[in-house]
Amino acid sequence: MSLPDWIVLAVTLIGIVVFGLYKSKTTRDLDGYFLSNRSMPWYLILLSIMGTQASAITFLSAPGQAYTDGMRFVQYYFGLPLAMVVLCITFVPIFHKLKVYTAYEYLEGRFDVKTRTLTSFLFLLQRGLSTGISVYAPSIILSSLLGWNIYWTNIFMGGLLIIYTVSGGARAVAYTQQLQFIIIFIGMLVTAYMVVHLLPGGITFIDTLKVSGRLGKLNVITTGYTGKGFNWNDRYNIWSGVIGGFFLALSYFGTDQSQVGRYLTAKTVSESRIGLLMNGLVKVPMQFLILLIGALVFTFYQFNQAPLFFNQTQIAKVEASSYKDSMHIIQNQYAQFSTQKKQLVANFVNDYKAGKNIEQSASALKKVNAETEKLRNNFKDILEKDAVKGDANDTNYIFLRFVVDYMPKGLIGLLIAVIFLASWGSIAASLNSLASSTVVDIHKKFINRECTEAHDYKISKWYTFAWGVFSIIVAQFAGNMGSLIEAVNVLGSLFYGVILGIFLVAFYVRKINGNAVFISAVLVEFIIILSFIWPWITQKFPALVPLFPAFFSRFINVLSSVSFLWLNVIGAAGTLLIALFFQLFFNRRQGAATTKQ
Amino acid sequence: MNDEIKEKVPLFHSWNQWYAFVVLVLVVLIILFSFFTNYFA
Repeated sequence: MSLPDWIVLAVTLIGIVVFGLYKSKTTRDLDGYFLSNRSMPWYLILLSIMGTQASAITFLSAPGQAYTDGMRFVQYYFGLPLAMVVLCITFVPIFHKLKVYTAYEYLEGRFDVKTRTLTSFLFLLQRGLSTGISVYAPSIILSSLLGWNIYWTNIFMGGLLIIYTVSGGARAVAYTQQLQFIIIFIGMLVTAYMVVHLLPGGITFIDTLKVSGRLGKLNVITTGYTGKGFNWNDRYNIWSGVIGGFFLALSYFGTDQSQVGRYLTAKTVSESRIGLLMNGLVKVPMQFLILLIGALVFTFYQFNQAPLFFNQTQIAKVEASSYKDSMHIIQNQYAQFSTQKKQLVANFVNDYKAGKNIEQSASALKKVNAETEKLRNNFKDILEKDAVKGDANDTNYIFLRFVVDYMPKGLIGLLIAVIFLASWGSIAASLNSLASSTVVDIHKKFINRECTEAHDYKISKWYTFAWGVFSIIVAQFAGNMGSLIEAVNVLGSLFYGVILGIFLVAFYVRKINGNAVFISAVLVEFIIILSFIWPWITQKFPALVPLFPAFFSRFINVLSSVSFLWLNVIGAAGTLLIALFFQLFFNRRQGAATTKQ
Repeated sequence: MNDEIKEKVPLFHSWNQWYAFVVLVLVVLIILFSFFTNYFA
């Protein structure tokens, strides 16, 4: 990076930390530290909710996702507006009425202590690990692209925000998220403009869309149906997006303390509702625009040679291996096809502009893209060889590689700052929520019930600090996880379904009590985690498979092949139905015992 | 819940109208996206 980039980066990051400290003034009790004295207006709630959900991974992975797989990832967010409506009807009024600090507090009154503790534990486990990934994800990309030491990058990524998060709690988190979001959006808009601006003269924005559309990157709506019927393993289509996405969003915004903690800071129920509903209105278009940047970058690389692989560290790895010569052959072929590609895309745009039949030029362009993709796959095969053991997924590197290679001085620094700020917004809210759940659901429940307000405030700060350190430690041990935006969502889907199931029972099925829902939740969580690790068990420990009944193994096998978004539906519905079954069983047993007496 | 009754619903007459508006915007977006997908494909 050049000196102007370093200056922009340093000024932006230090500015945010100072601003966070300036906004840290709050009352020295739990209400002030975790809920900002319930004083926030709707627009701060909106920015805080969006800043918490949109981490650096969103801005790094999503354009890469559009580049490789097209824009269909946006369908993943279709269930979100519907979830916002359900939250506003049910969850928000209850949480506000009971004046809870955490969502899990409500479960003790509705069920019992063990159900509250189990749900809180599942949250802490899931959120603690995913916060570690949120630290690691941008760090590994920055360290790889800019040659920074990964351990120090993790410490800077997860460390600086601890200063204002520990100091100011929820208030500092919300105010810094507001500023961070403004900077992030300026950065992303300038990038979108620059992508089109850097294209050869005469190529308009519509031309770029025409190219990426023809090459299958503007596939915003897909149905998931193939010639053989509906593909349950297809990750992103309108059905998995609306149904699976609805359950995931309902669970995330309704039961994940990192989000519940944001709208609990609102001064009234109406402010919470408006914040959530506005999120439902702007989230889908926002994701659409972020993905569109990826589709534009894809078109940019039709006119300019794209790297064979966007993660240069992996190229260096192969260079140092016995597969070096094979890679050079692939690189030469790739360069030849890229030259052809430039000519063919120009022909396509000329034909299109002249109103000629574009089928022939489009077909030739598609063909050469298929060839370059084949070469990329050949290179990925090399990366997966035992002698190399590389990471064959470069989705997360595509956008930032483009930024570093083509953006002007100063703007690179701003975009690197955007990555930091997006991370900080999300991580700060996570640390605040992890601390609130630890203090309210665990510490004050089991360790020290008779805390004074001053003591509450002090231990809250210490727990925030401790979770910050924990996240950095997790980040230092995080490894190859493919697309990191998917890794976080897959991890969430393993737990969110069950947590949502518990809350759905609590809100809508008054006849089910704590014992039934507790047993059901433990059972369903076990099955979901087992189905997730099942391919690993069958591969590494095949001797364990016969220990399970044949029908159960078949069931787990089917479950393990289902796309992760459906796990949210299965977890929620499974917890509800099995709890209902146990409740009927308990009622019948109780009825029989009463009759005997 | 008394607080909620006193609070005026901003922009619309009731919260139900707000919810219908959010769902309607989603439906319109999906229709526009379908058009976008087909047009540029």
